[in-house]
Amino acid sequence: MARKKVRTFIILLTLVIQILFLSAIFVEKLQTSYTPIVIILLCILLLASYVKAPIHHRTNVYDHILIVLWIPAGALSCYFLNHGFHLGPVISAGIVGTTASFIPQINKHSAYLKQLPATFYCGAFIGMTNLSIASSVYFVLAASFFAGVLLLVSKSLFNGLGGKLGTVAFTAVTITSFIFFLLFKK
Amino acid sequence: MTAIIFILTAIIAAMVTFYVNHELKQGPVRSSALLSLLVALPFYFFPNVLDVSLSKNIPVVFIGGSFIGMASKKIVDSYIKLAISGLVFSVIYLNTSNFFNGYGGALGASAGIALLSVLSLPFFTPKKHHLTNGILQLRKIIFKRNKD
Repeated sequence: MARKKVRTFIILLTLVIQILFLSAIFVEKLQTSYTPIVIILLCILLLASYVKAPIHHRTNVYDHILIVLWIPAGALSCYFLNHGFHLGPVISAGIVGTTASFIPQINKHSAYLKQLPATFYCGAFIGMTNLSIASSVYFVLAASFFAGVLLLVSKSLFNGLGGKLGTVAFTAVTITSFIFFLLFKK
Repeated sequence: MTAIIFILTAIIAAMVTFYVNHELKQGPVRSSALLSLLVALPFYFFPNVLDVSLSKNIPVVFIGGSFIGMASKKIVDSYIKLAISGLVFSVIYLNTSNFFNGYGGALGASAGIALLSVLSLPFFTPKKHHLTNGILQLRKIIFKRNKD
């Protein structure tokens, strides 16, 4: 029963974040002619696919809990490549992702190693955050904590959907920046 | 003009990533990361060849489009759907709000929105043929005979 509640909560959270993302565009572009119409259309399509499309698995996939430890590693390495070496977000995420995708080659029979590339890539998205938002390393660490929790809980949801990792990272960064805004008001 | 280039970039990125992911069997993470790295490096080393706004934004649009191509075959089966969702993604990217500017994962979130909204399209299109099951079976048998 509790598991089902968590499922519903995560789906609702993702929907709220996506609608928030779209409505931020909607509010800013109210003056232009076609953008608000496009946004409303997108919202309707989103709701329809949430209700009808078969994007969730019924089964609960077993997952190693220790896998979450690698999200901060990916996030920190991407953060330092991005801001320490000034490589830009795309190149640093690309380097982290490419390196991580060769990890399963170490031991091809290990199921644990097979899940690492996606985890690293999810962390790399957090590291892509701009300096004006992620002002310190602690922000990245807090965001990767939230991303870890979300990734573990949403294991069987949105399975195989492109952009799932990005949505998880975005949700985590949004929650963290909201908390940081509440704690240290600028 | 720049808008058309961004739309084309996103569509190409989604399709190429899907191709490398499933036809060349490289896995989603490597196909997305390696392709966007290959696209981003030339723009990093030669930033003045193209226009400044182009060389700044094309890698970003490409990595966002490649997130769409990371989808599994169960979710997306045709390249047309990928192309449409690439188009939707670039429309979202061209209108991104300043509020969420610089958030990590904003690209991934917009890619997810683009793909999810395209997934609901089949529910709105009317069914093309109203053939019964028997006629479909018959047609299958006839076409099989013709092949042999």
